[in-house]
Amino acid sequence: MSDPILLFVTIDAAALVLLGLCAAIVPLSAGTFLATLASGLGMLLCLPPLLLRAPASTLDLPVGPPGLALHLAFDPLAAFVLVIVFFAGTAVTAFQSAASPPCTPAELRETALCLAGTALTLLAADGVSLAIGLAVMTAAISPQGHRPQHGLLTPILLLAAICLLTPAGFAPRFDTIRTAPAEPTRSAIAAALGVAGVVILAGPRPAARSRFRDTLAAGMLIPAGLYVLLRVIADLAAGATQTGTGIVLLLAGGAIAVAEAWRAADHPDIDGSTACLTRRQAGLAVAGIGLALIARAADLPGAESFALAATLLAALGSGIAGVATTLATRAIGVSAGTIRLSRLGGLVHAMPMTAAALAGGLLGLAALPPGVGFAVLWLLFEALLSAPRTGGLLFQLPLALTGAAFALSAALATAAAVRLIGVALLGRPRTPQGAGAREARSPSRGILLALASLSGVAGVLPGLFLWLLAEPAIHGLTGAAPGARIGLALLLPSALAPSYLAFPVLALLALTTGAAIVVPRWVRKGSKPAGPWLDGLHPPVGLPFGEPAAQSAGHGFLPILPRLPLPRVPTLPALPRLRPPSATGAMWLLIAASSALLLLLACLA
Amino acid sequence: MTVVLSLLTQVLHIALMLAAAPTLAGAVSWLEARLSGRAGPPILAPWHDLVRLSRKTPISEDNVSAAASLAPAFALGATLSAAALVPSFTLGMALAPLADVLVIVSLLAAARAAAALAALDSGAARPGLAAQIASARAVLAEPAMMLAVVALGLIDGSFNLDLIVGQQREGLLLPAAASAVALTAMLALLFAEASGDGAALDQMQAGTGLALSRITVWLRRLVWIDLLGSLFLPVGMATADSAPLALLTGLAAWAVKLAAIAGGLSVVLTRLGKVPGHSLPDLLGVAALLALLATIMVLAGSGTA
Repeated sequence: MSDPILLFVTIDAAALVLLGLCAAIVPLSAGTFLATLASGLGMLLCLPPLLLRAPASTLDLPVGPPGLALHLAFDPLAAFVLVIVFFAGTAVTAFQSAASPPCTPAELRETALCLAGTALTLLAADGVSLAIGLAVMTAAISPQGHRPQHGLLTPILLLAAICLLTPAGFAPRFDTIRTAPAEPTRSAIAAALGVAGVVILAGPRPAARSRFRDTLAAGMLIPAGLYVLLRVIADLAAGATQTGTGIVLLLAGGAIAVAEAWRAADHPDIDGSTACLTRRQAGLAVAGIGLALIARAADLPGAESFALAATLLAALGSGIAGVATTLATRAIGVSAGTIRLSRLGGLVHAMPMTAAALAGGLLGLAALPPGVGFAVLWLLFEALLSAPRTGGLLFQLPLALTGAAFALSAALATAAAVRLIGVALLGRPRTPQGAGAREARSPSRGILLALASLSGVAGVLPGLFLWLLAEPAIHGLTGAAPGARIGLALLLPSALAPSYLAFPVLALLALTTGAAIVVPRWVRKGSKPAGPWLDGLHPPVGLPFGEPAAQSAGHGFLPILPRLPLPRVPTLPALPRLRPPSATGAMWLLIAASSALLLLLACLA
Repeated sequence: MTVVLSLLTQVLHIALMLAAAPTLAGAVSWLEARLSGRAGPPILAPWHDLVRLSRKTPISEDNVSAAASLAPAFALGATLSAAALVPSFTLGMALAPLADVLVIVSLLAAARAAAALAALDSGAARPGLAAQIASARAVLAEPAMMLAVVALGLIDGSFNLDLIVGQQREGLLLPAAASAVALTAMLALLFAEASGDGAALDQMQAGTGLALSRITVWLRRLVWIDLLGSLFLPVGMATADSAPLALLTGLAAWAVKLAAIAGGLSVVLTRLGKVPGHSLPDLLGVAALLALLATIMVLAGSGTA
């Protein structure tokens, strides 16, 4: 069944490439419509094989370098990420088609090519296809007029990683690699190259970026980056024992989660803050991959499946809640004229639907029940609970530190969400332009609300989403039946053990909150309207609603870090600034360096 | 029959928690005053406050959103949900399968976040400042709390509070040293909670909203005390299918535990004084480090027992 679907998805990706290349000449409304159609079609094509648990299928394309014909495959892991990516693409292109002011042809080109490149990356079944897909992605997200400086390193590094894993004398195809597992050293180097490539792809947020860069990062780059990590480290290099790689990924993921959550709670702009919260999800997912590797090395499939479920749920959360928040912040920026947090306020009155969508998305990115972010946190702690307890202090210290990082990151993410909602959406407007903000247009509003609602549903029914979409991928990666039984509305470590029941928790919360609302109204009915000045003071002249600038501007939501008594670093003399050599000079430098290298080798011999 | 009993005990537990929260707050205030040589307010003063506030005509400000009126109710709802999950006099209540320690800690965090949002929605300077301070303290307090309960969960092999308390009651939780360090961290957190100015966030509220905020603060403190009592003093706790006498014994033991912990807290607050606001982050930081130490001790093995 999945053979024709793979063909159709490939054609869909090719059509998106064509659309991206022709974006300048196609009418904008037709272009965005076609992009929405292609994305939605791609998502609908990927769903049936995933839901029906269809086996993997392959497709050989008669193009590419001699002996390296492109090879595509459609397996459950790729299908899961493709669903997220095409869903995000559908939301972004539909939002672009309804955006006011309308999106530019450059933005349409960027979105279509990024989506096509991501699809090709996910479908790739050999190193060359993977590198081509990544190259298309990185070229697409480079701002117009700027060369992709470090971005092209990503395909090169990933190609090198795949080639390292490939047995000598064979083409770098994934099925070849799986039949002959690489030795641990090569696997470790390939993992390091893969991590470096993914960090360059999804990590930095360039200063010069398009208006939809953060949305594309949340919906496509981060899920695709996680897929590449899983494919290279957890799938292709699965034969080697990777405890060391797992520990490194665990610590790196924890550090990313804490650093990004801290930045989110301190960032002066709302779009930067939401982008940091999305990257925090990526950090949690990377830590999940590390935990999965550690559990696999100890032959603990239950812990491994928990960690992989957390990783895939984090990717899903980034694809839904991340896209919702980044699109909502963009709508706010357009309507209120600024993205600076200290100049926003009271948007819940001017843009109630957009504000609700932003708040719903933030609930999904923070770690509060019953959001999807909390389900990720719970799964990670469950994986930590099931992790191996051997190895003594040296081995267990990273696990303990990562647990602390998860907890700290959760508290910081909550603080960041409170700050964003409390300062930007609640309170009073700080500027006339902010007071005059208007709700986004009806289709855009609908898209934002749909995304926020879906994020809420994923938080309430995480087990259902994992069972429907991620269970085949987890099964494929662990190679055994999942240790975690995943039910409809709950996540169960086993059939008998207690678990996280998101839906009953929501019901309990709704019951108690409802009672807290109803009982006081039942006791005392009717209320007396009053102005904002309750304490007998008089408002300043010209400011009938008080001084809006006296409200919290978003500073001070983080504790002040103690100053460590570090020794003062002596000031070094300024180094002369080296000018880049001319072409002739560079040639001579190259010759001199080569001669020196040859001399050195001769001496050593 | 067991299901009916578990439901009945659950309803009784929630009612007792709601009734005990203002009473305990009044008792602590009275005891603090007596230990300081003053007559002190009546023990039932918080109840009088609640009745007085609920009789006031609510004021609907025209510059605030629905969040200002809904947030206190949500904060109380989340705290009450957490309170419903922490066992008091018996184990095996109807909501025991939901009693995940991570869920309980996160519900308390959600309640705190809702209170901060209500303060920020007022648009005034001082509640906003209080929200900032509360958020900065929560960044230290919540990880410490989460790590402390995770350490106990790691010892037990489950994050379900009922199972952890059951193991603790059987004396199976080892290493004991890690439990002791986690207890120290949680006592430090309780001391910080009692020293903090919990009422600062409700400066702009009045009437029933203020009453809801007050009872939320009292209930949160009771949840802390109850959590400490059930985790580290699980003496006399019954199970849902126990005989009536065992349930009565559980009730008596719970009352004694509450009185003992509240008395100890009052003595500490009177003799040592409340921790000044500028020193609270230090205390919370120490609690977080202790909780991390407990987690390391648990994970590193049982050699520290």
